[in-house]
Amino acid sequence: MSSEGVYNMQSKLTDIELIQQTLDGNQSAYADLVKRHQRFVFTLALRFAKGREDAEEIAQDCFIKAYRSLSSFQQQSKFSTWLYSIVYTTAMTFLRKKRVNTASIDEEESFLQIESKPGSYDENNVENKSRSYYLNQAIGQLLPDDATIITLFYQGEQSLEEIAKATGMEANTVKVKLFRARQRLKDRLERNLKHEVNELI
Amino acid sequence: MSSIEEKLWDYIDGFGTAEERQAVAKLIADDEAYGNKYRGLIKLNAEFAAIEVDEPSMAFTYKVMETIRTEHAQQPLKATVNRRIIWGIAAFFILTITALVIFAFGSADWHATANMKLPDSVSINKVPDLFTAPVVKGFLFFDVVLGLFLLDAYLRRKSVAKHP
Repeated sequence: MSSEGVYNMQSKLTDIELIQQTLDGNQSAYADLVKRHQRFVFTLALRFAKGREDAEEIAQDCFIKAYRSLSSFQQQSKFSTWLYSIVYTTAMTFLRKKRVNTASIDEEESFLQIESKPGSYDENNVENKSRSYYLNQAIGQLLPDDATIITLFYQGEQSLEEIAKATGMEANTVKVKLFRARQRLKDRLERNLKHEVNELI
Repeated sequence: MSSIEEKLWDYIDGFGTAEERQAVAKLIADDEAYGNKYRGLIKLNAEFAAIEVDEPSMAFTYKVMETIRTEHAQQPLKATVNRRIIWGIAAFFILTITALVIFAFGSADWHATANMKLPDSVSINKVPDLFTAPVVKGFLFFDVVLGLFLLDAYLRRKSVAKHP
């Protein structure tokens, strides 16, 4: 679901129209904008924070920051791209702070530790585990940068150029990173599935 | 191996020139290894695209809007005063002062130099009388109280800054 020009249930207005109304002092227009983008922003934050509470805090912070600097949005890019760049920098700052707190733990290792925790959903007993469950698990095990690029590309429907803008990288770097991220995700998925089969036997 | 995958991903994503894409399409059709790999990646691509986005808690929008609302309420009044009003007031004073100065200089008699006269009625002996008047005493008393009050506020602020 891309943002511009797409009409949804909450509001029939486009992002740009909602922004204009917000700038004219209509706060409920901004609430519509938040409702429209909150799921994706939260998902993106979840790629960094792993915990739902932290992710929600990051996502809230992003929307408040976006509100404060809404007048500086130049409308040269899509609102979503601009918003995701805020999410990326906010989440990066969050990670940096967290890393200071757990300075001794190696990056890759810390994510492996988090991921090896049992899943938080009760319904994830063996029968209910579908392939999409394993895919979600696998994406949760990727490093934030890889998971973010995949999420922006597939769920955010952002082009390589737009991802480059949001993350402050070169478009070519994004392309290489996307390729590697996809391979890592595929490897993870296969490894997790194999592990599960072994456990069943 | 990876270069094959890279080419196939480019093909799936729709990158590359028309010739490159044609070459890959031909390989997929002719080469079985390519074809199998391509079908695997297409399936994977569809799965990646179908990853669902998560939903934040129900109160998410409410929390964001509440924070924005309280932030707005806390904003001091002076911060919301329109800059144009301030500039308007400044322009008014600048204009009146310059007009006064121009008028004063314009109406001055520049040739009258020798016959400057002070008014006769002002006597230096009457000045002390002014200061004994109860009005002036009251005025000075008020000034002293105000001065002490401001000094107190200033000292308090200093001590707060030192020991927060």
